Amino acid sequence: MAQDEENGYVDYFEVLGLDETAKPGEVRKSYRTKMKELVAEIAAVEITEERRSRYLLEMAKLNAALFLLRETDLRDAYWSDRKQLIALERQWRDAANAGQDTNELRKSFDSQVRGFLSRYVEDAMLAGGRDKECVEVSYWDAAHERHASGILRQYRQELYRQILERLPYADVTKPNIDWDERRRFVTGVLAQGAH
Amino acid sequence: MFGKKKAAVNTKVVNPDTVAAALAKAVAEGDFVNFRLLFLPFSPAREDSSERFDDPKYAYLLPNAEGESSREFTEAMRIVRDTAVWAHIQRELSERRPAQLPSELVMLLADNAVRLGKYTIAAQAYELLRIRRRVQEEFFAQADQALDDGKIAKGVRGYLIATGLEYNYAAFPEPLPLVPNWQTKALLLHGEYPRSPEECLPLQPTDVFLRNALAFLLLNPATAARLDARPTEAKLAFLAELVKQCDPEWRAFVDRYRDACKLMRDFEARIQHAIAARGESRVSLAREIEEMLGQDPREIPTTLLGRTIENGEWWQYLKELAFEHPAAALFVSRQIIGDVEIIVPRYRSDSPVAPAVGLLPANPVAAPA
Repeated sequence: MAQDEENGYVDYFEVLGLDETAKPGEVRKSYRTKMKELVAEIAAVEITEERRSRYLLEMAKLNAALFLLRETDLRDAYWSDRKQLIALERQWRDAANAGQDTNELRKSFDSQVRGFLSRYVEDAMLAGGRDKECVEVSYWDAAHERHASGILRQYRQELYRQILERLPYADVTKPNIDWDERRRFVTGVLAQGAH
Repeated sequence: MFGKKKAAVNTKVVNPDTVAAALAKAVAEGDFVNFRLLFLPFSPAREDSSERFDDPKYAYLLPNAEGESSREFTEAMRIVRDTAVWAHIQRELSERRPAQLPSELVMLLADNAVRLGKYTIAAQAYELLRIRRRVQEEFFAQADQALDDGKIAKGVRGYLIATGLEYNYAAFPEPLPLVPNWQTKALLLHGEYPRSPEECLPLQPTDVFLRNALAFLLLNPATAARLDARPTEAKLAFLAELVKQCDPEWRAFVDRYRDACKLMRDFEARIQHAIAARGESRVSLAREIEEMLGQDPREIPTTLLGRTIENGEWWQYLKELAFEHPAAALFVSRQIIGDVEIIVPRYRSDSPVAPAVGLLPANPVAAPA
């Protein structure tokens, strides 16, 4: 349940297979191991468009993880922002469930979640890719960055969507979906056009 | 003199029947823009707005007699007039904050948009309701079932609708519905000049061609990959139907394509003649053809498109051709003849693709020298 509530708030400790008490040395060690495994895997397979996108995203995530977690200041700021946002989301959902006016909470959460994803997904991934230590291990260069920009944007929006899916409806009232009726609608539309 | 503005005196009365009719019209027509507009702060449907429905500039928001008699309008009006929905609409129109749209109407609007072929609007509305992916998957599932049952037209329609409901999450600055931009994709398809004619898409082996053609027309390799497991004949039948459903004017293109093929064959005959006359040397062959025979190779793209683009480069012809007939981009290739680069018709004579989509089952067009 708690894990579901955190979906969408990228957890870079998890990306490196560590917990939040990991020391900078462990962060570096795990990053190097995982990046080397990934680079070896990339070298061994035929690169299709789909694989290229997936590998670029995985590399970018590892780079961002090292960039954010190896230094105390950045790491504390990231982890504290993440916790604060998760708490704010919970507060909003509780208020909505209690039938309270949630307009201000919604606005505040929406602006914060966009800022969080922009800062700790796209920006951190691109900054990580330019970092000397990351470049050394991942061979990330300007061509990677060029190809990755659209992929990172898409990933950020996917995370936003994951969060949005469990939030109270705001722009529209909560729909009451009858999926049997939806299936009949699709059947009707296809039958209508098939003649 | 220029002090604080006086609070506006609210003397405006909005006729609820007019509001209901305007909402029902937008829903019936699958018009999300007008539907949203009716809830905006300056909407004529709001009593605190200075805009009025009786202003001629808002006439387009109101239904005419024909519109009012449609089944879609009647159904939309029934839901607008539902007690709970109407109470919600009135509350939202009186509040000074972004309105919360009634989901019942957004759903019906999306459904009507699908029926009317306004897929990007439907995608936006379903996305707002957070059901877009599942609705899209339902279209795919039923389309796959139709294909399994041999109902090609129904299956293709399902794929086209599901593709139309796709979202582009990488769009900047916000995700947007995926727009069918074949004219741009055609340029990517022919981005590299083929070093030999065999390298160009139309001359690829049937399976390779089909994979690329389906990815191009369905706008997404992942969507095309859903068909991978099907036999070649099934994919071929799917492509033929897809070409027709993507382009109701395909027949007109076929006629022009055949004329362009004839022009290409004339060029080929002249080139062969010139080669024979000059022995092994091919230097300035194209110019020689032009000078000796007085024919401009630019007639070929003009014939394909059916009109001339002044000073048109090959890519301009390709772009416009793909805009008008999406599948046309699959049966042409770039070709330098003399000083000019043009697009020419190309297809494999030993492949069943060209006959399947209605192009001439004639001899393959040889690569110009």
